[in-house]
Amino acid sequence: MILHLSFRNLFRNARRTIAVLLTVALGAGALFSFKGFINGILDDYRENTVHAHYGHGQINTMGYRDTVYEKPWKYWIKDSKSLESYLSKKEEVEYVFPRITFSGLLKKGNLSIGGQGEGIVAKDEAEFFHSLNIESGKALKNEKNGIMLGKGLAKALKAKPGDSLTIYVNASNGSINDAKFKVTGIFYTGSQDFDNRMFRVQLKSAQSLMKTSSIESISIGLKDHNEWDKFEKGFAKDYSKLEATPFNVLDKVYYQHSVDWLNTQFAVVQVIIIGIVLLGIFNTISSSILERKQEIGNLRANGESVFDVMKLIVTEGTLMGLFGTLFGIGLSYFVLMTFLHHGIKLPPGPGLTNEMFISFKFNWKILAQVFSVNFVVVVIAASMAGVKVAKMSIAKALRSY
Amino acid sequence: MTYQKYIYKLKNIFFNYKLGSLEVAAINGISLNIPSKALITLSGPSGSGKSTLSNLLGLIEPLQKGEMLFNGEDLNKMSDAKKNEIRKHEIGFIFQQFHLIPVLSAEENVAYFLKRLKLPKGEVKKRTKETLEAVGLFEHRMKKPSELSGGQKQRVAIARAIAKDPSVIIADEPTASLDQKTGREIMEVFKKLVKEKSVTIIITSHDPMVLSYAEHQFYIKDGKLDKEEK
Repeated sequence: MILHLSFRNLFRNARRTIAVLLTVALGAGALFSFKGFINGILDDYRENTVHAHYGHGQINTMGYRDTVYEKPWKYWIKDSKSLESYLSKKEEVEYVFPRITFSGLLKKGNLSIGGQGEGIVAKDEAEFFHSLNIESGKALKNEKNGIMLGKGLAKALKAKPGDSLTIYVNASNGSINDAKFKVTGIFYTGSQDFDNRMFRVQLKSAQSLMKTSSIESISIGLKDHNEWDKFEKGFAKDYSKLEATPFNVLDKVYYQHSVDWLNTQFAVVQVIIIGIVLLGIFNTISSSILERKQEIGNLRANGESVFDVMKLIVTEGTLMGLFGTLFGIGLSYFVLMTFLHHGIKLPPGPGLTNEMFISFKFNWKILAQVFSVNFVVVVIAASMAGVKVAKMSIAKALRSY
Repeated sequence: MTYQKYIYKLKNIFFNYKLGSLEVAAINGISLNIPSKALITLSGPSGSGKSTLSNLLGLIEPLQKGEMLFNGEDLNKMSDAKKNEIRKHEIGFIFQQFHLIPVLSAEENVAYFLKRLKLPKGEVKKRTKETLEAVGLFEHRMKKPSELSGGQKQRVAIARAIAKDPSVIIADEPTASLDQKTGREIMEVFKKLVKEKSVTIIITSHDPMVLSYAEHQFYIKDGKLDKEEK
């Protein structure tokens, strides 16, 4: 009966009900759109980070990333073939990329610049690391002594595809070693710091330069990024002297900090939207209830408890919350998918150099989150509005005009 | 429920209203016994305290000072939940302003509190039909309050009050918004109810026509019992 009466009460003052529904819908739509937008940015960030450099994660010897600073090659992974074979057979793993990194001095003509080199199996990496944008030339694939330069590094060296340069390194045996390379292409990832210092050569060339047969790390490309935890758990069981680190930890400065930054921003905007919705609904439902004081007094006189009256008011709020939230989410989804399905062009993010095209990305979790947050807000607003009148003395409520 | 000879016994009742920092005495030491199964009137000039007394009898104002028994039960020892239960089952209210629920039809208004009593569906239907027929409004049962005249609205309010089969009906100025003819018709309904349903009806009014129907009259003046007539 309470549900029936609450439903009928929605039609008591159509203009007011529409005002509440629109407030709720606006709040739900704003939260849903913003959450979808943030999710789109985070997805883009994640894909960019994974497919530009790190993969979904990386294998190193235990403690290598945090504790080893001097002569790191001493701690590299020896006899990596059996490990690569093990990883390739793992159910969650799709790609296995052995790598080494090293510091070197790049010399072209009279110019000498220090850089950070990566030895990679270029042919295998070309497909997975598609976020590595080629500014000029082509991606390194089979060229034995080819080198790809980061955009900033190439600019500093005044190098272009086809140019030759020499790399000098401090090899693992302590000697100075050098080799000649030919620039195949110039790349950029959008991360300025990365593009200013990185260069890439074939793994075998790098190992030859460093006079080592070991590898420093193995980057992993998973079939599904959600499977990292499962992979990590299984790997830790099988290789206790090695450790697997996910990309968000590897790229804490850019990826994880950006995620935290955006999530904090979302939380602030969410609080603002919730505040507006809460006050809007509280105000509208309050005036609606105040007009019905006598009616509520009559309900109370006839034995309805404060709790019963609250149930009635909260049910009304709940119905408005339900319809308003569904309407708001439905409408915003329709508008975004119809008019903005290509996304929105954004200027470069913090630490990035290229513009981003962000699309709105929704999933069931977002839908459930927005629905429940908005729904709870409406119920709270209705409860806040109802409690005063429900608790009012019956005689006073009946006397009020 | 077994009814006592007196449904209400009031002893030395006081009641003050707070108006800002002022305290205004509305009931000033009333003691009276209200007999069961009779048509009772509470009358007196405006501001005499009759509506306050009616609210106290309806358990919708808290007892501030004095002793009051409802059907033998001491209100001073009664919890709010118990008072709610008494109002829900034992007391029917009829107000001058009707206080019908505007979004429900006449039939739904009557059925609402019956459903809240958790009566079986068939019983709700039966009582709704019987009471609407008793007040002559069955053919208007689908109409909303806004489609009914003042007299018809008051009849719906009466039907709603009697449908739950209370032992007392408290009616505050039930004919004040009605013309004399309709008022008389309403009073005939009350008279019939007392006779047929053995209910106690307590009416607050200063209308001589209403008072002429009373079996027992209490005159209130300045918050005190001025006169009692049987």
